[in-house]
Amino acid sequence: MKIKTNFCFAVIAAFMLSACSTSVERLDSQEQVDLSGAWNDTDSQLVAREMVEDALSRAWITKFVKQEGTEPVVIVGRVKNLSHEHINTNTFVANMERELINSGEVQFVASSAARKEIRDERGDQDLNASEATRKEMGQEYGADFMMQGQINTIIDVEGSTQVRFYQVNLELISIKDNRKVWIGEKKIKKLIKNSKLRE
Amino acid sequence: MYKILCLLCIVVLSGCAGQQRATNNLANSLNNQGPEYVLKKLQANKPDDRDIAQYHLNLGYLQLVNGDFKSAIDTLSLAKREMAVLEAMSVSETAAAGTVSEIYRSYSGYPTDRVMIHNMLALSYLFNQDIDGARVEMLQADVSMKKLAKRKSVRGQLASVHLLAGVIYELLDERSNSLISYKHASDLLKQRGISQPLGLKQALLRMSYKLGADQQYAAYKKQFPGLAKPEMSSGSQLFTLYFDGVVSNKQEKAVMVPSHDAEQLIRIAMPAYPPMKKRSQRAIITQGNQRLTTQMIENLESLVRDDLADEYPSILLLTTTRALAKYELVDKANEKDSLVGLLVNIATLVTEVADLRSWNMLPANIQFAYLETTENEVLINSADHMQKIELPDGSQNLVLVNSLSEQIFHYQQD
Repeated sequence: MKIKTNFCFAVIAAFMLSACSTSVERLDSQEQVDLSGAWNDTDSQLVAREMVEDALSRAWITKFVKQEGTEPVVIVGRVKNLSHEHINTNTFVANMERELINSGEVQFVASSAARKEIRDERGDQDLNASEATRKEMGQEYGADFMMQGQINTIIDVEGSTQVRFYQVNLELISIKDNRKVWIGEKKIKKLIKNSKLRE
Repeated sequence: MYKILCLLCIVVLSGCAGQQRATNNLANSLNNQGPEYVLKKLQANKPDDRDIAQYHLNLGYLQLVNGDFKSAIDTLSLAKREMAVLEAMSVSETAAAGTVSEIYRSYSGYPTDRVMIHNMLALSYLFNQDIDGARVEMLQADVSMKKLAKRKSVRGQLASVHLLAGVIYELLDERSNSLISYKHASDLLKQRGISQPLGLKQALLRMSYKLGADQQYAAYKKQFPGLAKPEMSSGSQLFTLYFDGVVSNKQEKAVMVPSHDAEQLIRIAMPAYPPMKKRSQRAIITQGNQRLTTQMIENLESLVRDDLADEYPSILLLTTTRALAKYELVDKANEKDSLVGLLVNIATLVTEVADLRSWNMLPANIQFAYLETTENEVLINSADHMQKIELPDGSQNLVLVNSLSEQIFHYQQD
């Protein structure tokens, strides 16, 4: 009887301890997972895709192609984080860049930080590369438009319940004359209920 | 079996109480030994899981005042997450607190801690050259304060947080947000009956003027008749924050009485703060013939006492419930065997310790001063240390001075 009780105890203990161990599960990067309710990769991808779709479906692009006879060259500038969360806007900017490039409807130039590195490399090539392979200075593609924006939030809180309202505003500005050719807005609203009890 | 359990209980509980005492002793030694020494000592400590939030709060603050801003951000962010999780109630911890000891409950932070953490994080981000990160913390502080706000109560509402938010918005040229934050700070000080620092009065006047809020400007002009008219651009700005001293530790107040039948002893232990320290130091800012002293914006000594006073009814209720439960336990044990009864009684006495945990390395008070100057340097004197601060033309500067060390941290916005 005592052996049986001890055995049962050991099984229960082992079961409980296994519940405490770390577990890792591979997820599809497109899968929607919300843990804390904060801005996450799903929001970033969703907003980037929808806003780029909106931007590319508007009249400015056809007007530009008609006028210039070529696709517009776009650069993504700074997206300011004015929200209540520490959001890494670099991932959002990267999502925007990917959506824009993959659309095939615009040409895309590297960001200012990337351009600086490339210019350094060209300077280095000037000194060290053979004439046949050397890339000349002054051949860069100048962007026609810059996309800039901001992420804002409004939070309403009552006890353990929160409503988080995200508003992402983006605008496309003509670098030649500062004209705003497109303004986009995407809103996300989340209701977050935190548990009043824990383990 | 009973004897072993009693001994085990005594050993575990005396360990927990020892940990509390060690942390309190470290906090007490901050004034004399300085933050660098205490940081090393604290890092060598291994906190109990239940005290992890308190440990990270103290550790993060010490990292900030030692100038390790990156670590301070990591540690305080961790403490913030831990406190958020611990806001939810644990049934097992509450049961243990109601039957064995209050210190079986995880430290989840008082209202002042939950808001002050954003202040310390904002300063860490700022001195780590990330003003956007500091802005995020100020927005989160606002949400935390709204969450804690109750009618006719200023619990968890911190003037220093609104003031720092005002400064950060001013550095970012968000004039409307800045004026609103300064106004919140001013309203809170009025509600607490604390006189407004000169720097805050100047801020209200300056921001209402710069914003073009004519009616508000006229009202402030009337309210502060002695202050000069602000100018749109008048050289460099210097915002000085001064952390003075170290906040008090809680102490245990205990009574031990025999039961009505004199068969057992009953111990009641409650936390309490010692009488408030009156002495406070100030930082002095000298520029040419102009001499300015920092003035109090937040009296943390008083806030921590208010926090405890608010919790007092529930602590008293739980202590009484625990005393009853322990009385019953000893009584039952006595019925079985008087020796076991005696051992259980000793265990109930030893386990009855007050919860002395708090964010006990915070400054005792926070002070503020504001200076506008066309000179390129000022001298700051704090706790007999004099330091020169360079102010490039037209720059906006925030400095953090503390009475515990000679280090002055400087954020500059050109």
